[in-house]
Order: sequence, then C-alpha cells, then structure tokens
Amino acid sequence: MLSVRELKVAVEGKEILKGLDLEVLPGELHAVMGPNGSGKSTLAHVLAGRDGYEVTSGGVFYQGEDLLPLEPEERAHKGLFLAFQYPVELPGVNNTYFLKAAINAGRVARGEPELDAVAFMKLVREKAKLVQLDETLLKRPVNAGFSGGEKKRNEILQMALLEPRLAILDETDSGLDIDALRVVADGVNALRGPDRAMIVVTHYQRLLEYIEPDYVHVLAGGRIVRSGDKSLALELERKGYGWVLEEEAA
Amino acid sequence: MNTVGEPLDRFRELARNPAAPPTGIHWLDQRRDEAAARLDRLSWPSRKDEGWRYTSLEPLRDPQFAPAAQPLSALLPEDIESLLLANGRVPDLVFANGRFAPALSNPRALPDGVWMGSLARALREKPEALKDHLARAGDPVDSLFAALNTALIEDGAALLVAEGTVIEAPIEVLYLSLEVEQPVIAQPRNLIVLQAGAQATLIERYASFGPSLYFNNLVTEVVLGQGAVLVHERLQEESRNAFHLAGLSARLDAHSRYHCVTAALGSAWSRTSLQLRFAGEGAESRLDGLYFAGDGKLVDHHLDVEHAVPGCSSEETFRGILDGRGVAVFDGRVLVAQDAQQTSAHLHNANLMLSRNAEVDTKPQLEIYADDVQCSHGTTVGQLEPEAMFYLRSRGISEPEARKMLCVGFAQEILERFSHAPLRERAERIIRQRLSRPSG
Repeated sequence: MLSVRELKVAVEGKEILKGLDLEVLPGELHAVMGPNGSGKSTLAHVLAGRDGYEVTSGGVFYQGEDLLPLEPEERAHKGLFLAFQYPVELPGVNNTYFLKAAINAGRVARGEPELDAVAFMKLVREKAKLVQLDETLLKRPVNAGFSGGEKKRNEILQMALLEPRLAILDETDSGLDIDALRVVADGVNALRGPDRAMIVVTHYQRLLEYIEPDYVHVLAGGRIVRSGDKSLALELERKGYGWVLEEEAA
Repeated sequence: MNTVGEPLDRFRELARNPAAPPTGIHWLDQRRDEAAARLDRLSWPSRKDEGWRYTSLEPLRDPQFAPAAQPLSALLPEDIESLLLANGRVPDLVFANGRFAPALSNPRALPDGVWMGSLARALREKPEALKDHLARAGDPVDSLFAALNTALIEDGAALLVAEGTVIEAPIEVLYLSLEVEQPVIAQPRNLIVLQAGAQATLIERYASFGPSLYFNNLVTEVVLGQGAVLVHERLQEESRNAFHLAGLSARLDAHSRYHCVTAALGSAWSRTSLQLRFAGEGAESRLDGLYFAGDGKLVDHHLDVEHAVPGCSSEETFRGILDGRGVAVFDGRVLVAQDAQQTSAHLHNANLMLSRNAEVDTKPQLEIYADDVQCSHGTTVGQLEPEAMFYLRSRGISEPEARKMLCVGFAQEILERFSHAPLRERAERIIRQRLSRPSG
C-alpha cells in the first residue's frame, strides 16, 4: 500500500526527516509516535502533498506508484486522506457544499457518475450519525466557529464520506475531551477494513487505548528509531520518550 | 454623431441635443437648463481632482457615444430570457438603452397608493408629484456626469409609494443596454419616493448581451419619509466592454431605514457613487457592496455619508475580489457633524487579491465633529490562504475549483445580505463565471 524509503525532507533548508523508512500493507493500522518536533507532522504533510517541503532524497511509493510528483487532489482521487491536526476554517464556504464537491471531484476523477443532491444528502446524514456530528453543522461554513471536538468529527465525517484506501490521522486526539475522543475513535474503528490502511500520528498513547494499532513506531530526530507492536506504546507511556532516545544515543 | 474633440465638448453638445427637446414642464426644463449650464462651467476631471485621483477617465476619451435614438422596439420578450432571474419572472419594468420598453415588461399588481412606471409617463401624468423630489437639489453626486444626466432627464423608473403603504413583493427593474450600429449613451433617471411609513423592496439590474460597447450614465434618487423602509438590491452585470456610471443619492427622514446591497460584477469601467443624507433623527442605513475587478477592468466605489442630525446609525461594508490586472478604487467617506451626537457609524472595506498585478486603492475615512459617537473604520487587503487551498485540494477539489470556492466564500458575507434569493444566486453564479474566465 505505502512504502516510504530513506526519505529525507527539508523545510526552508533545514532537514526534518533524515532517512525515514515505513512499510504499510492493506488492512494495517500503524501508530507513529514521537516527541514534539520529531517530524511527525512533516511526514503527514509530505504524504498529503503540501507545499513547502523539499524532498532531498529517498522516495514514497503508494500502490506501486511514485507518490511525490502527484498534486494533492490527485493523491486524494487515488484514495489518500489526511485528517488535519488543525482543520482549516473556511468562512463563507458551506459545509454541505464542500462535502459534496469533495465527493463528486473524486467520483468524476475515477470516471463514476456524480451523486445527485438526494443521494448525497442520504449518505451524508448516515455518516454524520456515525460520528455523532450535529446535522446543523452541515449547514454552517466549514469548521468556522466549530468547537475542537466538532472540527475533529468533521474530519472523520470527511474520511467516512471519501472512503480512502490510506488514511493518515495527524494528532487527531489533540484538544479532545474523553467523550469526543471516544466518538472519534469509534468513527475510525468503524472504518477499519481489510482493504484500508491507516497511519495514526500521535504524541500520546491515550488515543491508542481506543484505536488498537498493529504496529507502533517511534519517530525521533527525523527517523524511525524503534518499531514494535502495541506494547511499545504502553512502554513509552510508562517510561517516556527519553528512554528510547537515550537507548538510541547509546 | 461625428463630432471629434474633447469628450467634455461632446457631452456638452449632447446636452444641447435637439433630439431632447424641452419637456414643456416649466420647473423641469428649468432644472435641465441649469444642469446644462453647470456642464458648461465644469471642467473635465483629472487625476488631480480628489474624487478622480485613482480613477482614470482616459478610457472614456475615445468612444463616440450617441444618444439612444429610438426605443429598441425590435426586442422580443424571448430575447431577454437569458437575463431573467432563475425564478423566471419577467421584471416589472424593463428599460432598453434608458427608455421604457413596455412590451418587455410585466408590471405586477400593486396595492392602492403605489404608482410604478416609467418616469416619462409620470412626467406626463403627474408632474406635480415629482416636483418636490426630482433633481430638486441640483445634481446629487459626481457632478459632471450627474449634470449630463439631469440636463437630459427624460425616462427611467419611478416608484411613488403613499403614506403607510406596504408593498410585500419585490419590484424588479431591468436596465438592458445594447450597442446598435454605434456605441450609445443611455441615461436612466430613477426616482423612488416612499412617504411616511411606506415600505418596499426594489431590485435593480443592469445587464446586456454579448460584448456591447455603451455608456450607462444613470442617476437614482431615493427619498424616504418618516419611518419608511426601503430594501434596495442592485446587481450590475453590464457587458465586459461597457462603461457604467451610477449616481445614487438617498435622503432619509426620521426613523426611516435604508438597506442597500449593491454588487458591481460587470463592465470594463464602472463607478458607483452612493450619497446618503440623514435628514431626521433615529434613521438607520446599511450599505453592503461587493465588487469584482477582472483583468484590465476598473471598479470604483465612492461613498459619501453625512450624519447631519443626532441618533442615526450607518454601516458600510464593502468587499472586493481583484484578478489579473484589475483595479479597484474604494473611497468611503463618513462625516459626523457637530450636532450629530449618538451617531453610530462603521465603515469597512476588505479586498481579496488573486494576482500580484491587481491594484486596489482604498481610502475609508471618518470625519467626526461630534464627541458622543460610536464609530469605526477599517480596511484589509489579503490573498487566498495557502492553508485553505491545501485543505480543499487534499479533499480532491481541483485548484481552480478550490479558488472559486474560497472567493465565493469571501463574497458570501455580502451575498447573504441579498434578501431576494434568485438575485443572490445570480450574483454568485456570475462571480463563478468571472473566475472561470482566464481573462477575467
């Protein structure tokens, strides 16, 4: 599904990722953990195609194809999805209009017919229920004035509607209280399936109590310094990141 | 007309045009003559004139505009179908090159106490009802062009609403302009008078077919009696080669309310001057404006709001989108006189620049001589946020579509002030079309 090889990425001349390797197969859920500034968000943004990141060496292959030359919208059409750490507020852009435009852009790109208004509304209501998103938020501008929890639910709603093959969740747990966290995790779990892979980027182990990873990786200093199963996350929680970093340095 | 020479000379000659003989109404002929005399005294504005500092009149120099000769009687109702709003309703009054076109109009049934029709007919049937209002105080705005309009007052829309009369449904007026054999100058003169306690909603649209070259030089006078309420929604969607110069003056008596939403989305060169006078205490006005300056186009707005009496409030919010080498001018002036205590006035202008080559000259000004007031003004000039573009594109939305969505989103604050949904939808659609056009 996704193969990241020896990836080096610089931002404004400063190297952030320093040779990162990651293999993700269909159906797997990988947690990428690490201290602040370790390059977690950079990895998420590079995968989604954001400007301002310079890949200095290495490569990323997605479903056998070189991902890096693709525009962000092309990546989305091929089933890649990024749930933002800070979902962007779009004043004046109606949420329903946005969701419909997103779905239909993907359908058109794949040669499928557009959903009409009735079919779309039926679908969006069903998915909104899944993430317990208040339906009135569908009529409001995208994320504008939404609470932290509402923004994250809106992200998961988009994921549910777009049905990606590879979903990257960037710090989806940040700023959520325990109830919102549970709702978001339920939404994510409902979307897990044998054909869909997920990368959950998180600083804390907390989210992983609700979303069980197949693999846990520790990202530090721009590289994956340790990989393991879910028990690694618990160990990190107990001992802190200092422990891995010290061992790495030793 | 084959006259060459300075444009002002040509306009002066127009004002003396034998095709516009005296109306036979003494007070009106007098006011027209006075305006023609003013035109003789005025000089052609240069960039040294404060009001024209950022707006070049150069493009108006060359075209030889001839007065619209006869009504465009060849136009059939089906010809204007593409100009109708999505509800399919034929406008109450349609003007073609400034003259009333009864065959294209569909005046709705109105309550007793309302007189709606062409100004030409009002002048024939009830000139006395117009005398106190039409061109009474000389030229309302932009004196040179308003003088030209006044000197040739002949036709336009007239809406006279008697005391306490409420019109529920919006009245729609369409001004259609077309180049016929040679560029024309159309000069609608509109008069809206709401007596005390009257209420109405007026929709005005300025439109054309194809790339016609013409000059629409219009003046609208609005008079609101005590407690009257006028909702005034305007959409300028002129041809991409057109010149559009609109002068709008409103006089608000005590406790009246005036809400004007105006969108300037078409034409090559346009200027809209809005002049507001508070004549009685406790009146309220809101002016909301939206403009789009495409590549090579100029869109100018001048506001002149005068709080002469206490306890009135005014709010002016204008938003503009500039593309390519588009130029926008916003000159908003709000004056609060010494006696105008307890005034509330808020003036704001925001601009979204889609190109490095676009230019905006924005000058919101508050002049305050009273001490107990609540006033603010501000201006912003910004670009599309890369964050927002990436967010949309990461959802599969193409770059051009993402750009459109964000621009329409920016315009939404003004678009949603349109109370008439079909008008709002049309304005939104035009913005989308303008953004699709590479040349703006």
